[in-house]
Amino acid sequence: MSRPVLELSGISKSFGAVQALNQVDLAVDPGEVVALLGDNGAGKSTLVKVIAGVNSGDSGDILWEGKRVEINRPADAQRLGIATIYQDLALCDNLDIVANLFLGVEKTAFGALDEVDMERRATELLDSLSVKMPSLRVPVASLSGGQRQIIAIARALLGEPKVVLLDEPTAALGVAQTAQVLDLIERLRDRGLGVILVSHNMADVRAVADRAAVLRLGRNAGDFGVEETSYEEIVAAITGASDNPVSRRASVTRTEEA
Amino acid sequence: MSGTEETGAPAAGTAARTGPPGAAAGEAAPQPPKEHGAGDGRAGRRIRQVRELGILLALALLVAVTTLANPGFLSGQSVRDLLLGATLLTILAVGQSMVLITRNVDLSVGSVMGLSAFAVGVTFVSLPGLPTPIVMAIGVLVGTLCGVVNGVLVAAARVPALVVTLGTLYMFRGIDYWWAGGRQINAADMPDGFLGLARITLFGIPLPAVVALAVVLAAGWYLRNYRSGRELYAVGSEPAAARLVGIPVDRRVFAPFVINGSLAGLAGVLYAARFGTLDATVGTGLELEVVAAAVVGGVAIFGGSGTVYGAALGALLLSTIDAALPMLQVGSFWQQAVVGLLILVSIGLDRLLAVRAARRLRGGGSRGA
Ligand SMILES: Nc1ncnc2c1ncn2[C@@H]1O[C@H](COP(=O)(O)OP(=O)(O)OP(=O)(O)O)[C@@H](O)[C@H]1O
Ligand SMILES: [Mg+2]
Repeated sequence: MSRPVLELSGISKSFGAVQALNQVDLAVDPGEVVALLGDNGAGKSTLVKVIAGVNSGDSGDILWEGKRVEINRPADAQRLGIATIYQDLALCDNLDIVANLFLGVEKTAFGALDEVDMERRATELLDSLSVKMPSLRVPVASLSGGQRQIIAIARALLGEPKVVLLDEPTAALGVAQTAQVLDLIERLRDRGLGVILVSHNMADVRAVADRAAVLRLGRNAGDFGVEETSYEEIVAAITGASDNPVSRRASVTRTEEA
Repeated sequence: MSGTEETGAPAAGTAARTGPPGAAAGEAAPQPPKEHGAGDGRAGRRIRQVRELGILLALALLVAVTTLANPGFLSGQSVRDLLLGATLLTILAVGQSMVLITRNVDLSVGSVMGLSAFAVGVTFVSLPGLPTPIVMAIGVLVGTLCGVVNGVLVAAARVPALVVTLGTLYMFRGIDYWWAGGRQINAADMPDGFLGLARITLFGIPLPAVVALAVVLAAGWYLRNYRSGRELYAVGSEPAAARLVGIPVDRRVFAPFVINGSLAGLAGVLYAARFGTLDATVGTGLELEVVAAAVVGGVAIFGGSGTVYGAALGALLLSTIDAALPMLQVGSFWQQAVVGLLILVSIGLDRLLAVRAARRLRGGGSRGA
């Protein structure tokens, strides 16, 4: 097995009295899709934000390609090669697709924006992802939810990241659009990227994820190979049902809760 | 914008539509990649051009009708007067547009212009030896300082721009009244060289109008071609998204207030040169006309869209209306009603174009399935 590109160990984070993360471990290999599961408030988004540098953890270690690193700001994460697609999209509705793709990393020639170069690169990028868009020069407001999500993901890929974090990328999408996004996630894996996918949707998870890491009340509550684990076992870990040998074995420290 | 551009494909995708209203039905399932519609590529730009063409058309129509009714309307002198009149509004509309694009507004511009104009007059009176260019620079500087005050309060203290600039509208005007103390400054108090500026022409165009044109072109070039210009649109479109990609949002909000202040200062200087009579009331009530010019020109009050070219055309149109309607014997009440109607029509037109563009695009997308 390859060495994890990103490995977290013992990450804790509290907001005042709320212990959002408690000694959480998580690892992702290159070319692996890890689904991060858990009930509302389990701490998934908080963990994503710790990795992305939006919130830094109170304690715990982050290993990047085996070396200990500090991620205190979003720029730190970006420099390492971690790209984040947030739950709330973060696209600029009035700007066109090209402008959104290159927002904050615009290409310039002699100080002025190089629209021709950006349009060419955008076309290349979308083609390499087998994504088709009606037009690159319309405001993204006129795109569908799925298309917008794809643009958000494509933008994250411009920085040539090694790990991509997706926080509920299919939450607001219909069936066909969800399929498009899942397709794209598979293509990311095929490119050898590590993907961490936050989702509530077990169907999505079964479709694309290699492993499922479950959080419950801010703690690890199991780490499953998706192929060899049944739906019921994963759901039991998410909801914390007691008669679940897999989750009991995965988190021996939490027996008092059962 | 979501929710209004629902497509006309009711049957498709109803089975599993869990998405928000903005998510279109009938999305094509994953398919082999196709060319990104290059033919549709100019759709976004086309909306803007339709808007600008519409204003030009309205302008041409107005000029034609007025000239028919009163042939003197197109005489050299009357056109020069018209351009001079449009100059101040254009310069102010350009600055206002930059502020509006970042999803803010500056209501204090009339007061800033008045204060700058008065500062120019007072400087000529109290320091008669000072070279004219320096006095003009002082006028611009006064405007810039006012812009800095607005910018700091909005960007650093995070007070909504509407509240801040409503406050500074009265504050700057108050300073103006206190400073003037009922005094009036007349042409006799200012050097002829300064007052003559408005009468200089380049190829028949008054110098102030040339200055306004330069301001429009410079601002337009900046917004279109520079990273920080593009980022103004991003900030106005989605501040949170802009922050996430690392755009210095506060700086991008601050700068347009300062630029707008400087331009209002410049407008004050040009006002002083043109009219020569200055008191504390100069520029009173101008702010709404400025915002109207920008909005008619297609600059969205919600930020993130519009061009300064459109705003300049809007200013030209409003100025032409001001000049033409009296010649057509239309009363001043109707002039205001016409301006109001124009604002409503232009906003309605924007919505219509946006909805139609969205419909066409999505329709094209689902036809591929
Ligand atoms: N900025 C914050 N301030 C205070 N509490 C917070 C903050 N962010 C998260 N929390 C708390 O931390 C806990 C974990 O929240 P988090 O958003 O990570 O959950 P989640 O697993 O992403 O849930 P969901 O599925 O609803 O998105 C919750 O109890 C939440 O209230
Ligand atoms: Mg969440």
